Amino acid sequence: MLFKSTMKKTIFVLAYALIVVSVFAFTKTTENNRLSLALSNEYAMKMADASDKLEELDKAVKQTLLFNHSDESKKSRDDIWRLSSDIKSSVASLPLDASFTTSWMNYLSRVGNYAKEADRAAQPDEYYKVMSQASKNLGSMQNEWKLATAGLLDGQYSMDEWTRKLDTSNPDFDWSTMGASIKQYTESDFPLTASESDAMKKKELKHIEDAKVTQAEAIDRFKILFPNVSNDVIGVEMSKPGSPYPFFHIRFADRESIGYIDITEKGGHVLSYLSERPFGKASLAFEEIKKKAEDFLQAADYKDLVYQESRENNTAWHFVFVRKEPFYGAKVFSDVIHLKVAKDNGDIIGLDASEYIRKEKLHRQAIKKIDWKEFFHKDVQIVEEELAYVENERLEQRLSHYLTVTRDEHGQTGTYSVIVDTETEEVIKTERLD
Amino acid sequence: MKKIVLRLFILVMLIGSAYATSPIQSDAFSSRDLGRGATGDDVIELQARLQYIGFYNGNIDGKFGYGTYWALRNFQDKYGLPIDGIAGSQTKKKLTAASSYDEKFVMDNLKKGNKFTHYGGKPLASQVKQGGGKSENIHLPSKYSEQDLKLMANAVYGEARGEPYEGQVAVAAVILNRVEHADFPNTVSGVIFQPGAFTAVADGQIWLTPNERAKEAVLDALNGWDPSENAIYYFNPITATSKWIWSRPQIKKIGLHIFCH
Repeated sequence: MLFKSTMKKTIFVLAYALIVVSVFAFTKTTENNRLSLALSNEYAMKMADASDKLEELDKAVKQTLLFNHSDESKKSRDDIWRLSSDIKSSVASLPLDASFTTSWMNYLSRVGNYAKEADRAAQPDEYYKVMSQASKNLGSMQNEWKLATAGLLDGQYSMDEWTRKLDTSNPDFDWSTMGASIKQYTESDFPLTASESDAMKKKELKHIEDAKVTQAEAIDRFKILFPNVSNDVIGVEMSKPGSPYPFFHIRFADRESIGYIDITEKGGHVLSYLSERPFGKASLAFEEIKKKAEDFLQAADYKDLVYQESRENNTAWHFVFVRKEPFYGAKVFSDVIHLKVAKDNGDIIGLDASEYIRKEKLHRQAIKKIDWKEFFHKDVQIVEEELAYVENERLEQRLSHYLTVTRDEHGQTGTYSVIVDTETEEVIKTERLD
Repeated sequence: MKKIVLRLFILVMLIGSAYATSPIQSDAFSSRDLGRGATGDDVIELQARLQYIGFYNGNIDGKFGYGTYWALRNFQDKYGLPIDGIAGSQTKKKLTAASSYDEKFVMDNLKKGNKFTHYGGKPLASQVKQGGGKSENIHLPSKYSEQDLKLMANAVYGEARGEPYEGQVAVAAVILNRVEHADFPNTVSGVIFQPGAFTAVADGQIWLTPNERAKEAVLDALNGWDPSENAIYYFNPITATSKWIWSRPQIKKIGLHIFCH
């Protein structure tokens, strides 16, 4: 009797537990399905949006080819820039193959920028030639894209199934075929400009022609610059073969300081250095810390730099120094050195000179007189004016008026830097300063 | 005698508690000079005092930027002080005499992340709006926002919390290199949330609370450090499943990550 009763209770409990688990599993599965469907819908929407806009982009490119002068095609060129940005944004939010996405985004950037810059940078004949070819390639791309996305947009496949399908090798439309086509289009339609090529060479430190230093010499350089942390070098590695410039990667652990320094093989130039350690109470005044930074730069033979700005944070001050060229006395904002100085004892705990050693090639340039009263609204005050070399959107170093201006913004003073080309009066950059 | 001791004790306690709960503390400024770029509690006091007498209308956030600079210059001009935009001892003395500072009110509201002002002549209680979000006591280059810092710190912590400090700065630098690169979205959030770009986004580890070390690493990257040497990809060779990533030109290895173009 007792056994029967216990059995009954056990069966009841088990049945109850089974029902609870089943309900829970059902709810979870329903929820997951709902989420998965919502995500698939979101992806399908982005995909459809990208497809529609790709068609519009092709039309806009074709429309610009109707005119001889850039003024008449301005609206369509603006459309090209807007549409290419929109498609980029859609493509970036889709789980597509990485190599395909990067090639596709690069091509879209180049189409958009070329159209945007056309009235300044390209002759009508050249524009016609480049964009005719781009239009042809966009047409091909559109066809490939339509074929590739067909199964997804008509609901035949989920996003996962679709991406898996394109992962498999299919000569008609798989990721690698599409990625390779776009890469080819980019190279043929928009080859690197001279400035882009120069910028690339600079980034890859191709201009450094100094003699190679040995590992021991690189370590010596480290010891001279940072004697307090360089007694215990725990490892030195050469950069990997894929690095555009060979460098020594030196790691150290000296007492409480742990960090690294990267030094180029050609010339033994410091690329960057960072040291991490526990910090004591901040005890030095800003002026003392700034002096330590300036003294370090002098001792390290970085002698053509001037102070630009600094920012205080929990344990350190971050400093920015820029090169000053001697002819105009202009600051060169691309030739910059960053220093990180500890607040407790003024140690230099960080140095980044990678941009400084790329040293820009500078050209003399006409300085036209600009009537700032005419140039700015009457509410704007110029509080500082200096000359500086600044890189424009086409990656050219341009001598510019570097102006700090203010404007009353409903009881608060808004401060801006405005950079104006001394020759063309082009506004290269406007930035709100906090 | 006992009564006298008891009365004295009560008196001392009363004075002590009145002092401790007093909202006005007039000379809490630190001894250092404050100029553009400075951060800290003394900057909070400077902004609150300038606001109390109507010179400063911006947020009280402890960051000495241009807003504080112009407010301070206007104050120095009005009070016959040398106009240099630096809060030295003379300026601080004049400012302390001319204004009040309710440290408890200001610090409480900053801690709670409330929106508030500290103008004199109207009840402080009426100058508070609940919420608005806490601000980091960190000074960033103009082109980056606190949102960028927070998102990147989450990403770095989720992706590389077990890595050396250098490796964490390098991961943050890769995010910034992508923002500047034509092949990637041009915002920090766009880069981080690009599908398939970061494992921490895919597995949800991006929503772990980052530690101070991750924030410091991001701060160094935002201030110009790039231990990755211009890399736009990185991967862990032990766990990487993509064949394609192995085809990228490799630059250097930091901790468990290989950084590449």
